[in-house]
Amino acid sequence: MLLAFGNFTADPSVNLQLLIGGLALGAIYAVVALGFVLVYKSTDVLNLAHGEFLMLGAYFALTFLISENLNFFLGVFVLLLVMLVFGLVVHYGIMRRMVGQGFFAIVLITLGIATIIRALLLIFYGPTERARLDLLPQGSFEVGGATVRHVDLVIFGVVALCVLLFFLFFKYTRLGLHMRAVADDIEAAAAMGIDPDKVYAMTWAAAMVMAGVGGLLFGHVTGAIDRSIEAIGLRAFPAAVVGGLTSLGGSIVGGLVVGVIEQFANGHLGTKWREPVAFSVMFVVLLVRPTGLWGRKDLERV
Amino acid sequence: MTATENPAAQQADQTYRPSTLQRFLPFVVAAVVPFILGATTDDLNFWWKAAITIAILALVARLAWKWTPRGELTHREDMRLWRTPSDRSWAALTMFGLLVLPFILASDFTPPMDFPWATWFAVVNLVLIFAMGAAAFNLLVGYSGQISLAHVAFLALGSIVGGIVGVQWSGGNMWLALPAAALAGAVVGAISGLPALRLKHLYLLLATFGFHFVMMLVWREYLQEYFGFVGIRFKGVNSPRIASWLHWLPGIDPDENGEFIITGQFRWYWVLMPITVLSILFMVNVIRTREGRAFAAVRDRDVSASLLGINVARSKLMAFALSSAVVAMSGVLASFYIGSRGEDSFNVQTVLNYAIIIVVGGFSSIQGAIFGSAFFWFLPEWFKWAREELWFVRDIEFLSDYPSEIDLAIKGFLVVIILMFKPDGLAGMWRDFKNWLSRSLARRNP
Repeated sequence: MLLAFGNFTADPSVNLQLLIGGLALGAIYAVVALGFVLVYKSTDVLNLAHGEFLMLGAYFALTFLISENLNFFLGVFVLLLVMLVFGLVVHYGIMRRMVGQGFFAIVLITLGIATIIRALLLIFYGPTERARLDLLPQGSFEVGGATVRHVDLVIFGVVALCVLLFFLFFKYTRLGLHMRAVADDIEAAAAMGIDPDKVYAMTWAAAMVMAGVGGLLFGHVTGAIDRSIEAIGLRAFPAAVVGGLTSLGGSIVGGLVVGVIEQFANGHLGTKWREPVAFSVMFVVLLVRPTGLWGRKDLERV
Repeated sequence: MTATENPAAQQADQTYRPSTLQRFLPFVVAAVVPFILGATTDDLNFWWKAAITIAILALVARLAWKWTPRGELTHREDMRLWRTPSDRSWAALTMFGLLVLPFILASDFTPPMDFPWATWFAVVNLVLIFAMGAAAFNLLVGYSGQISLAHVAFLALGSIVGGIVGVQWSGGNMWLALPAAALAGAVVGAISGLPALRLKHLYLLLATFGFHFVMMLVWREYLQEYFGFVGIRFKGVNSPRIASWLHWLPGIDPDENGEFIITGQFRWYWVLMPITVLSILFMVNVIRTREGRAFAAVRDRDVSASLLGINVARSKLMAFALSSAVVAMSGVLASFYIGSRGEDSFNVQTVLNYAIIIVVGGFSSIQGAIFGSAFFWFLPEWFKWAREELWFVRDIEFLSDYPSEIDLAIKGFLVVIILMFKPDGLAGMWRDFKNWLSRSLARRNP
């Protein structure tokens, strides 16, 4: 039935190419989803501004690495530092006052932040689109008739490294332990002498650094850097949800699964099916397991 | 304790209840005045009309105050739509304003400092359409607590139904498309509300957002199948018109072809205003009845609501169906009013715009939806005027270099500031103002 829709082909090299493209896309989704998960896991905030944070990262990468022409590692360091400071500003300036507010009010305030970032980027960078970044290795090689870009491999490595680092961070460091405690029960954690304010600030800073990394990576694979790249934030939602919004490893698996499914829908059914299929997969997962594949389950008492 | 000793009973003896005629007479006067003024006073200038209007309004307010029920209210009286004299005066004033506004906007009156009067008519009509959609959004998200981002999907559904019923079947019959869209909106809305039975908060938000993308796919397929990528034309031959058997109505003069086409801001106003007012009154009535109280109970805690004997599933689906039906109707109105609808009429930004409207106006308040949409559409106009006319703003080059971007930034900052410091929004400020007014009046004449 489904096959009657599009130009289905059983050619293995085409399918392999789609698989590789899907994995590459999935790696990007995983980076973005990791940012969602970090914030949601500790602060219970669904950050709809993450796409804009990523866009901010990509534009800062343009400024520091292309316009200012800094050394690559120095430039990345400055980029991540700026993003970290920006995360602290977001927490201490805005989100701190919103703790304890209703769920939808917090979602809407992230939308407000997103709107501000979009307007400021338009003012300071203008609506003209820029060429994508080309600082990571640009070549490609062939595997079984399909092309693999070096950039995708680098992205893969960076994502795996980030997840590993965060995993170790949450498991073995004091701050990671504090973050988990605050996520579990903020009042009990505060009673144990943990400062939730500081933990939240660190969370936002970490998420913003992740957005900087994501912007840097996505800036290499997007068609062009303009204001439309914020959409990656919305498109990565299914990935975050499929994996479970509280699971770091889940964001990787969710990202890859959704990326591959989307790429196959894109190849066999047409571009317009990309988002409906991804969100339908998310929908089915939500109906079967409302907290995603590896999400934390909450009990509710009356 | 006997009845005479009981102070509450004594107080209840001093009750005053106006007759039904007395209760509604101020409204009738307020509604009739502009018509009489408009029909009889052609040779008066604007200021005379304004003076007469204000005099009659003062009389109406006096009567509304005098014919106020006093003493303890019964439950039935307490649940009335307009309970207090203040409520009723504001309602009468609003109704009067709505009836007079188009005549003022259509007159060639020029305010001082080039205030942009002429462009306001289009803005007012857009505000009417958006107020209807935003109020329905607020009914679902604010009152019933069912977080949904599928709002724009129902605007698109309204456009599709308007395209099928209003353009393809009947060649511009908007009157047929409106009930059809309401029906389709209710059915599809109930279906899109099904995830709400299992999901809550965040996950419901994401599921309804998925529905948005599915509806966009349907929209794209429909558009491509019948109209190509240019969008549906609701203007020209497809403009709505008044049927010939209704041409005897006052104020309707058919053109030389014997048709009365609804075009131009003035005629559109008289189509949009009654529909918006009626649908908003309908939603207000839903809120104060049993069904609306059930919505609020489900919002506050659905498990407790089910223990009170509320059918939670029915309540949730009803909220989705009602809201979606009204939104689909506003989608039809927007399609026919704006004239053409393409794919970019229904992007994600439009969902965010509606969210901005209900936040700035005031969350979970129908009044707030109206304030919010007025603010949303008037802000760019005011800003434009300030940039061109106010001397201390005109000289700031930065502002005139980036008008639309700064407009966007203002909206973003407003959302953040209002959510942080004044979560009630404009409706809350209005309420505070009224309280302050009544307090200071009470201090002056105790």
